[in-house]
Amino acid sequence: MIRLFYHLIVMYLSLHLVWYMFRQRKFWSQTSAVLVLVLFLLRLFWIK
Amino acid sequence: MKEIKGTRLSSFLFLFLTGALCFFSGRSFLAMHQKEPVYPGAGLSSKKMLSDYLPALQNTHGDTEVYVFRGNEKGGHLLIIGGTHPNEPAGFVSAVLLVENISVKRGSVFIVPRANSSGFSHSDPQEGNPQRFAVPTPSGPRLFRLGSRLTNPIDQWPDPTVYINPAGQKLSGNEVRNLNRCFPGRVKGYLTEKIACGIIELIKQEAIDLGIDLHESAPEYPVINAIVFHENSAELAVLALMQLQSEGIEIRLEASPSNLRGLSHREWGDEAGIMAVLLETPNASHGRLKGKPSSDLIVEGKDKFYTKASQLGWLFVPFGEEGIPLAQRVARHLAGMEALISSLKELEPEKAVEVENIPPWAEVQEKGVGPFLHPPK
Repeated sequence: MIRLFYHLIVMYLSLHLVWYMFRQRKFWSQTSAVLVLVLFLLRLFWIK
Repeated sequence: MKEIKGTRLSSFLFLFLTGALCFFSGRSFLAMHQKEPVYPGAGLSSKKMLSDYLPALQNTHGDTEVYVFRGNEKGGHLLIIGGTHPNEPAGFVSAVLLVENISVKRGSVFIVPRANSSGFSHSDPQEGNPQRFAVPTPSGPRLFRLGSRLTNPIDQWPDPTVYINPAGQKLSGNEVRNLNRCFPGRVKGYLTEKIACGIIELIKQEAIDLGIDLHESAPEYPVINAIVFHENSAELAVLALMQLQSEGIEIRLEASPSNLRGLSHREWGDEAGIMAVLLETPNASHGRLKGKPSSDLIVEGKDKFYTKASQLGWLFVPFGEEGIPLAQRVARHLAGMEALISSLKELEPEKAVEVENIPPWAEVQEKGVGPFLHPPK
């Protein structure tokens, strides 16, 4: 149960990051979003 | 920094880049789950799994191989554990070396090279450790994984804030994934506790007489080049120490503290009543003073910062420019095990175990580990 809740939080934050990346008009801010998003996705898919 | 305008197109490109980074890094992380092959020698009698002793481990990443060597003559039963901490390579490599070489004439030997199998499937975050190290053999390098001290959080998560182990000791939360704090384990506990319970079940079901747990520690850690013994193994440890010193190997004795609970050398003795010892060798790649972590640092064991620390008197072992290579650390483990086996024979002849073809420690130290390992395929 706690794991499902955790996954939902990570998924919510990952979607927020994607949304932020598309809204952002600064190239370097988009780059920063990618670096964070990779870690979130690896966690979301339970790889690392 | 020069301002560059981001566009919808760059967003899509970055999304693609995210996918590519996830794919390649994910593939690298997942490859850590692939076990390095172990090639048992002709002396192997059977191969079991830890789940044969504790079915709760079946189909989990905590299940691991138990290599069984039985002699024709009746004698004692010996358990050798490597990889309790997968970031301590000499323990694991020594156990593999035994599996690939020994045969048993009298008694039985049980070897578990990857005690915490889950811990081998990831590395410690923020340490910059290599995922693998290469041991040179005459037929080319053989790769072994360098894991983490703790169980993979993918297999056991979340950690509690405070961990009260099965022996009742209060520890910091992440110690719940440290196999050598979880003994005697719990059948329905965390995965690491199940592994500990599986090892205790192995000890009980196979009527083990002597258990040896192989470890490594940082050169600045006081318990080093040492035999840590349960009080019921004091005589055995003293005899082994004298034998090692007569062979020119400096080693010290450390009594297992009775109030430090959950460790193999304490709980194997208390819970299962066997003679329990733990061997420690010095490993620079394990310490906090090291330079860049690398496969060479693990195998060759040279580090200029440790040499400097040794000159300043900060270490508990001498550390010269020649370093402390893996071959020397494995040789120490082999010599320690041989001394313990012969001391057991001297103390309790009916529990004697006669093991043949243990690679001679002096040759391992001189020629390296590689010539005694099975060639890589």
